[in-house]
Amino acid sequence: MQILHGTWIPQAGEEFVQSGGFYLWVETTERKRFRKPSQRHPYQMTADNLLELLVKELGIAAPAERQLKSLISTKYFLLPTVEQQPLPSLELSRYLEADLPDEFELQYWQVDCYQTLAPAKTYGLANNVVSLLNDLHFIALHNLAEIQLGSDLLFWFHYTQALKRIIFRDQYIPALKYRDLEPAKLARKKRATSASRKTSPQTRRSTAKTAAKTKATATTQTIDSGKFEIYPAWEFIGEEYETTIQQYVDYMPLVCAAGFSEPRDPIEFYDRETLLRHFAECLLNDIVTHTPTTQAFNKTIADSLLASCLQPNPQPWTYAQGLDLYKQWQTWRDRIRRTQTEQSFDLYFKLQDPIKPEDPWELQFQIAPKADPSARLALQDYWQLRPKQRQQVQKQMGNGFEQYLLMNLGYAARIYPALWEGLDTDQPTGIRLDLDAAFDFLKEAAWVLENAGYKVVVPAWWTPEGRRRAKVRLKARGKSLSGGEDKTKKYFSLENLVEYQYELAIGGEKVTEQEWNQLVTAKTPLVKFRGQWMELDQDKMRQMLEFWKTQQQENPELSLLDFLKLTAGEGEELEVEVDRQDALSEMLTKLGDKSQLQPVDNPKTLQGNLREYQKRGVSWLQYLEQIGLNGCLADDMGLGKTVQVIARLLQERELAKKQRIKNLPPTLLVAPTSVVGNWYHEIEKFAPGLKAAIHHGTERARSAQEFKQACRENDVIITSFALARKDIKLFGDIQWHRVVLDEAQNIKNPKADLTKSILKLNANHRLALTGTPIENRLLDLWSIFNFLNPGYLGNQTQFRRNFELPIQKANDPRQSITLKKLVEPFILRRVKTDQSIIKDLPDKVEQKLYCNLTKEQASLYEAVVKDITTQIEEVEGIHRKGLILATLTKLKQICNHPMQFLQDGSDFTPERSHKLMRLTEMVQEAIDEGESMLIFTQFTELGASLEKYLRHTCHYNTYYLHGGTSRKKREQMISEFQDPETEPSIFVLSLKAGGVGITLTKANRVFHFDRWWNPAVEDQATDRAFRIGQSKNVFVHKFVAMGTLEERIDEMIQDKKKLAGSIVGADESWLTELDNNAFRKLIALNRSAIME
Amino acid sequence: MSQFSRTWWGQRFITALEEFTDPGRLSRGRSYASGSKVKSFTIQDGLVTAQVRGSVNPYYGVYKEPLYITTIEFQPISPAKWAAVIALVASKAGLISKLLLNEIPDNIEESFTLLGLHLLPQSRKDFIAHCSCPDYSNPCKHIAGVYYLVAADLDRDPFLLFELRGLSREDLHKELAKSPLGQALVAELQLAQHPPEALASYHTQPRAIAVKKAPGLRDFWHGAKRLPATIEPLPETLVAGIPVKKQGDFPAFWNRENSFLAAMETIYEQVRHKNPGLD
Repeated sequence: MQILHGTWIPQAGEEFVQSGGFYLWVETTERKRFRKPSQRHPYQMTADNLLELLVKELGIAAPAERQLKSLISTKYFLLPTVEQQPLPSLELSRYLEADLPDEFELQYWQVDCYQTLAPAKTYGLANNVVSLLNDLHFIALHNLAEIQLGSDLLFWFHYTQALKRIIFRDQYIPALKYRDLEPAKLARKKRATSASRKTSPQTRRSTAKTAAKTKATATTQTIDSGKFEIYPAWEFIGEEYETTIQQYVDYMPLVCAAGFSEPRDPIEFYDRETLLRHFAECLLNDIVTHTPTTQAFNKTIADSLLASCLQPNPQPWTYAQGLDLYKQWQTWRDRIRRTQTEQSFDLYFKLQDPIKPEDPWELQFQIAPKADPSARLALQDYWQLRPKQRQQVQKQMGNGFEQYLLMNLGYAARIYPALWEGLDTDQPTGIRLDLDAAFDFLKEAAWVLENAGYKVVVPAWWTPEGRRRAKVRLKARGKSLSGGEDKTKKYFSLENLVEYQYELAIGGEKVTEQEWNQLVTAKTPLVKFRGQWMELDQDKMRQMLEFWKTQQQENPELSLLDFLKLTAGEGEELEVEVDRQDALSEMLTKLGDKSQLQPVDNPKTLQGNLREYQKRGVSWLQYLEQIGLNGCLADDMGLGKTVQVIARLLQERELAKKQRIKNLPPTLLVAPTSVVGNWYHEIEKFAPGLKAAIHHGTERARSAQEFKQACRENDVIITSFALARKDIKLFGDIQWHRVVLDEAQNIKNPKADLTKSILKLNANHRLALTGTPIENRLLDLWSIFNFLNPGYLGNQTQFRRNFELPIQKANDPRQSITLKKLVEPFILRRVKTDQSIIKDLPDKVEQKLYCNLTKEQASLYEAVVKDITTQIEEVEGIHRKGLILATLTKLKQICNHPMQFLQDGSDFTPERSHKLMRLTEMVQEAIDEGESMLIFTQFTELGASLEKYLRHTCHYNTYYLHGGTSRKKREQMISEFQDPETEPSIFVLSLKAGGVGITLTKANRVFHFDRWWNPAVEDQATDRAFRIGQSKNVFVHKFVAMGTLEERIDEMIQDKKKLAGSIVGADESWLTELDNNAFRKLIALNRSAIME
Repeated sequence: MSQFSRTWWGQRFITALEEFTDPGRLSRGRSYASGSKVKSFTIQDGLVTAQVRGSVNPYYGVYKEPLYITTIEFQPISPAKWAAVIALVASKAGLISKLLLNEIPDNIEESFTLLGLHLLPQSRKDFIAHCSCPDYSNPCKHIAGVYYLVAADLDRDPFLLFELRGLSREDLHKELAKSPLGQALVAELQLAQHPPEALASYHTQPRAIAVKKAPGLRDFWHGAKRLPATIEPLPETLVAGIPVKKQGDFPAFWNRENSFLAAMETIYEQVRHKNPGLD
């Protein structure tokens, strides 16, 4: 893994104009050997490799090899160091074995860096950090290269994007910087600065020298014995810039302030705020001065302040006129600043339309205190007030109210000159506008005034909500919903057609061609039509008319899917209308607002009760299938997707029975190997009437005939993704009633064989299940939709062009809304924080996760069992007790992971334990959701392995608390975990250490990796994440190894619980009371629960 | 012919002179004004006094560079009439707003006309000029030169015009203070001009700070606060340069005839759309 780092490093020295550079460097896991003693960072990517990475992997254009090489230089970073070795960054440390120490020193390390410069369109090189970081962020986001952005670069990416927004709002002006060269003052200042800053004597000497030299040149070159220099520049203005700086000071990692062009002694960091300002100012000047302009334009600014400011290397002015210019500029700048500062009232412009179309429009001036916008007052009324009342209002509006009011009116008149007319009095109240002027106001001036900080009130019919537009309306109604005599056919009816016709409409009302033509030929852009004002875009209306005419002859039928696609593109010119009485309308309502769905009745054959939201979920599944659409159930992990699917399977059988339909074809359920067993277990538990079979393992059906037989005999076939690919020949031959993909993100890679196989399955219905927020991962989303409704989101290339690039690279909100509209009807996602869900849930939601043993685990387990069965007969008393307890421990270790039992340092990999595999999948889902969690185990050594695995292999932020953790360390870990600024993290705890006195309420998931024999102890641990009275739900996931003693003990605990559970002691010693036979039964392995 | 003034009032001021002065003297006057011939130049209580370097001209017997004293005085408006005019001006928000922005409103003469007055000089009756040079003609080239410089000053300080017509700054403030609108203007005028803001460095200087206590590893690598989860979309800018537009066109430092705002607008748009560094 390679971590891309970078930061802004100011130029060394104390020149008046001090620039800097943005430098990238790469931290790797591979250790370099440099000749000792060396201060070169041993894990850096050195110059040649860095160049190769930049060009080959990151696509940084190389105009000329030599030029690119010249951008590589050595910089110094003050980094945490232990024993003469720099510590890895937190990002990289998750790829390394070693643990990070608590104590460290700081030391400068030499690093080969690439400076982000690219040939500018004008000439020379310009800093291209803004666009480069945007590209790198995109590359990293899509894992297009084996790189990860360090938090430092991520910070700069955010900061540069924030600055870009400010630049795009034109919040900067040409500026002049005044430098006082008066020797007395200068010397004093120098003394003061060198006293306050501990620079080395050497630096101080050189500073004095430079200052003297500059002074000498200044005096010889100027006529008026220049005591000053004035430099042209650009500067940011406005509050947005200032708040951005303050905000980013808090976000900024210290490593961003740790880069230097020369090492310092004693060691120093840069101050965050001044570094951020330095970067922003340098960047602004670099960007503006490198912006290409035309020759013609340059002529229009020749010999002006702007021409000087656009020079990339500012040359100072030293002559007297320069000072005059400076003073004029300063007054101007101060005025701009003043208009940007806070006033305690807002000035409003309110446009009022006339009742009679031929009358003039009114633009009223109004005022309101900022603190209380509801106290809006028209100036017309203000001037009428008696002196005392007026004083009261003035008090409310703040100091110098009338002065500011006038200035504001004056400034407003500058940008909207029509206002001058209203200022020809000592008591301005407003102006009158004719129709054209009113239209101009609405189209442009209103917007400009609003951007200039004024408030504008326009008539409701102009607002986006109230605006009536001329549109082509697609009038649609459902076709096949009513028809069809054949019940079976109707039941399986998949293709719903939509009949439609186009009409011309304004504000949702049909308009005749004649009326339309009248409007098209109207002389004004604003007309009063059917009693209401509206804007006409006559060119567009002409086009719409043409379109409407051509559409008259076309085939007026659409599939429901195409219809949904069309409605998502609805907007400016097209509007879709569905008759409210029509079934199609009801359908759209239900798809759009899923709370409209009637919850189903609890299926009679279901062993258990669905929660309210689960009943709605089943209803949605049913509804979608009924209208022939395929959806994705994306409820949060723990909300019970499994049981909703099972309920749907039962419900459809109950319905079919009523309609006397026999033999529904089987449903194929494809899931990750780690949950195949759980599915089977859940079906057995909730729906014993359903016939389910697992297609997995060496004993599975091999021939088509055998497999078809199995399909005929069963309602559900459960298989894993791996076998779905391997046995695609068998699966592809069957016409499935339904294919369900659990953890559907497994098919996110469209090129994988697995995905291609899954797409070959034939089924009447398709359903995807996932707990990850797929709408944020566009490629996953496309792939899942390609399975559900092929073609709906276009092919992959189209999707990339239409959505992926605009949304994830250009940050285009419009496309992201369109995509949301497209997919929304097909996704049902409830999160556990939804108010409606919370009220359906108990505070603690307990869930058991049944996992199979792997073959390796099973053979180890059987060996231990075999061993004990003979031994147990031979021992008695304390020895027997000891033997039993030791056996229990061994078996539990095996259920967890073979490595824990073998203690041979073998690999702690998920392939050897389904428990670990399932945990890995669930942890990832939870982290993706931004959740923190606790994982409990009773074995200290397993806790250590788990933590190491989650940190080093999965790269999460983890903590581990066990009996040996010091009190100080424990408290530090807890407060870090609890800190809202800490990323979602995993806290691994040993059951005993994590028992009492610890609050870890940031976690909203708790995993029990192995079972304790006393539910009270588990509950007590669970309560770490849960405090009475807090309004959040905690999900508790308990792992149970199927067919092993864990499952049997779980059953016993359940029974004991029912019997008021007092026999169950605090530990497992009560188990030693069992007789040999009972004990053998307890530990025996049920072979059917093994999976490879 | 208006290189000395870009404002409408400065140009009107110059036109008045140009109407009754012969072109030759005007053109030499302009070169006097733009060269360094005007040695000193003061305006005190409405009286313009200048020392102008003459030329050596053996033909007229001038062998040494002479120094002439030139004065220009404008016809004063009486205090009573000023009071009436100011009261009228201060009753119009538009006029006061423009004055607030350091501009002579283009319709200001309407208020003067109502009282049978005018603000800007119209004919030679409106000012009395003297020059110690031997030229028989008045205005001579020295007067013209000084006059052009006064016009240039008016651009920067429109209130000088009131002073030239006999209304001192203090009296102006006093008269203005009689009305609420006028008070607003006085408050603005009394804001002091700041001395130049002397900077220690061109950009904000990145300060370095000694490391007193080693930071925590998280603070070092990740920062104290987590970054926002999403990036805000770019704003749509339909009209460029609103902050500068509020200050109006032709700011004092803009020494060109063409529009400053138009130039700024082009720069803003180029930066937004033509700069590959911001892609």
